[in-house]
Amino acid sequence: MLPATAASLAVLAVLLAWPVPALVARARWPQRDPLVALVCWQAIGLAGGLSMIGALLVHGLAPWGDALLPAGWALLSGRPAADAVRGDHWVALTLAGVLASELVGVLLLSWLRTTRTRRRHRAMLELVVQPSAGIPDTRLLEHPAPVAFCIPGARPLLVLSSGIVAELDDDQLAAVVAHERAHLKEHHHLLLLPFVAWQAALPVLPAAERAHAAVRELVEMRADDVALTSLDGPGARRTLARAIVAAADGAGGAGVPDGALAVGGAGVRARVLRLLEPPDPLPPAARWSALVAAGLLLLLPTALLLLLAG
Amino acid sequence: MASLGELERAVMERLWAADGPVAATTLREELGDRGVALTTVHTVLTRLEQKGFVVHDDERPRRFTARASREEHAAELMHEVLGSSADRQAVLARFVGGVDADEARLLRELLAAVDNTAG
Repeated sequence: MLPATAASLAVLAVLLAWPVPALVARARWPQRDPLVALVCWQAIGLAGGLSMIGALLVHGLAPWGDALLPAGWALLSGRPAADAVRGDHWVALTLAGVLASELVGVLLLSWLRTTRTRRRHRAMLELVVQPSAGIPDTRLLEHPAPVAFCIPGARPLLVLSSGIVAELDDDQLAAVVAHERAHLKEHHHLLLLPFVAWQAALPVLPAAERAHAAVRELVEMRADDVALTSLDGPGARRTLARAIVAAADGAGGAGVPDGALAVGGAGVRARVLRLLEPPDPLPPAARWSALVAAGLLLLLPTALLLLLAG
Repeated sequence: MASLGELERAVMERLWAADGPVAATTLREELGDRGVALTTVHTVLTRLEQKGFVVHDDERPRRFTARASREEHAAELMHEVLGSSADRQAVLARFVGGVDADEARLLRELLAAVDNTAG
């Protein structure tokens, strides 16, 4: 039972560390339903961590007994192992500890750091910028680059630069605001957090970077979709596409510091194409099977570990 | 009664408008129409100092100056938003990243093509 569990967790961890993210990142269907794809990515990220740490723990604790919790307790309280403890058991235990503390630590650190930065930005904006009269909870920042962004949090803020207000017409500006509000309403910053942690904890894992990029792109597409539901008229798709092109184009102009360019050029194109020539939505059957697959993926390592816990 | 946030903004406006360092008593006189006490002005100044917007000198009485101009603060924030530092992560939802010239041309052509077919 025990070696089989460790082995199946290890296989799952390897699959989730490379082939599965590579496949999903390359697939075309996520564009057709960003929300379902985001759910799948969360499952991949969480199940990946669980199975990787779980496999190492199950293997490393084997000499102390079959049940994880009592074995872990025996190890911590310094009781001798029932079976001989080899080098690979210690290596597995050390790796499990390092990986777990690194993932949790990075998650906590990046959460703390972003909260602090956001607080600073919000304080600055509230002080320097008068609330915009036209659009509620929006600040207009005097700057030539056409930029829009939002600061999530308990008191979210939406920021438009004077550059973007000058560049876009009223309909386009409304589309931009609807897009940013969608980010805030659906708490997209939280969906990104696990992937920020993965990439910071395991920068050598190519899938981590790929997953992070894919999730970032999907979050933008999802915000585009939500924005469209609140915009009227048949031309809404084209209005949003125009706003994206104008903002991306103008961002290369004056007043933009070095290093800001060429961020996600391909992502911008994919968004525009998707708005101009909308792909068919996923059929309900495909939607549901993707969601069930995501659920099972998360359930599998959880069930394996729970079975062994006591 | 004005909120602290409003008072902070009013104090910053005065400091930005002033030619040099300003004493708290002067600030209170300038904010006279709001009827604030000197202690309130000091509270506001302390908060602004903690947030890093105001510095004071060693004169007696202390005089206060804005650390940076309004434009400098705006430029600093934009630099963080547009730059590729780790802090960019914090400001998740920038509407679009910039693209290079070739990509921009391609995007404009895409739009033009759709406009043409739509008549």
